[in-house]
Amino acid sequence: MGYLEEMAKYQKSAKQKEFGADFLVKEDIDQYEFWDEIEIGKESELPDKFEVKAEDLVAYAEGVPDTNPIFYDEEYARKCGHDGIVAHPMFGTQVGFFVMRKGHGSWIRTPGARNPGQIIEYFDPIKVGDILTMKIKGHDKWIKRGKYYMRYMTETFDQRGNLKIRYYVTLILPRTREDVMKFLKGEHALQA
Amino acid sequence: MEKKITFESVNCGDVLPEVRQLVGQEVIWQHAAGSMDYNPVHNNPEWCKTAQVFGLPVTVMHGNQTMSLMCKVVTNWAYPSGGRMKRIESKLVRPVPVDTTCIYGATVTEKHPIGKGLDFVTLDIWAKDEQGNTVGVAEADVYLP
Repeated sequence: MGYLEEMAKYQKSAKQKEFGADFLVKEDIDQYEFWDEIEIGKESELPDKFEVKAEDLVAYAEGVPDTNPIFYDEEYARKCGHDGIVAHPMFGTQVGFFVMRKGHGSWIRTPGARNPGQIIEYFDPIKVGDILTMKIKGHDKWIKRGKYYMRYMTETFDQRGNLKIRYYVTLILPRTREDVMKFLKGEHALQA
Repeated sequence: MEKKITFESVNCGDVLPEVRQLVGQEVIWQHAAGSMDYNPVHNNPEWCKTAQVFGLPVTVMHGNQTMSLMCKVVTNWAYPSGGRMKRIESKLVRPVPVDTTCIYGATVTEKHPIGKGLDFVTLDIWAKDEQGNTVGVAEADVYLP
């Protein structure tokens, strides 16, 4: 069984089943933004929406893995003082990958990307029934010890305009399209 | 119901219960499905043999899974009492190869008595492998009732 079939065992929610799990499709990568093309200050509101279902919150908690009933049991979560089952603090990762799959922000899928750490600020808690949209803006890019960093500010809102999370997504990326295409072929393409 | 944690009951220097996790390939695949981060550096063992993004011929855990497990220390501790995260800032300092067991823990470092509903504490969170190597650190602010 190949790795895509292995991962399919864990794709239970409607969004998981619909989302493409192969990040090595050349036609997709051709449309990505690359480090040397990223424009700081460029901003947009992404077209895709994310309607939060209980199964989405459960899918993230299962993937941690975390069996705390606050993520699964509405009655228990309410007894604990929450307004229904809780979104795991890193649930924004699922939202981000879901809405940034093409166009502006697609650098998030880059083969060869490395994660140096993230900054997240939380505002109104994400809840079942929220319809989330995301605004993103190029925040910074820099070179340090031969590595090419980029940081985007993303803000996630619900259908009432309430800010839910502000997530400064930071990645170390291959520098150019040519470097990413080497990774597509399974070749190492980093100098540091 | 567990004993309630409150802002008043917490002191600087308090140590939170640790979390331990063996990160095998199945655990990484399930995280990929949960987060929708299907980058091959985590998921595709054949690709990793040659691509070696981290200089390793094997898959590595998602950095955001390390963050998620650091958050688990917080959610186990504060969320059953109605606490919730205000901010987290992490540094991921070392890749975690597949089949590594890591331990995650935290200490209360600051108390911020802002006002009812706004009081929060600051935590230093760490993640280490079984050899004691730090793989990630974070600072988190957490609202407590």
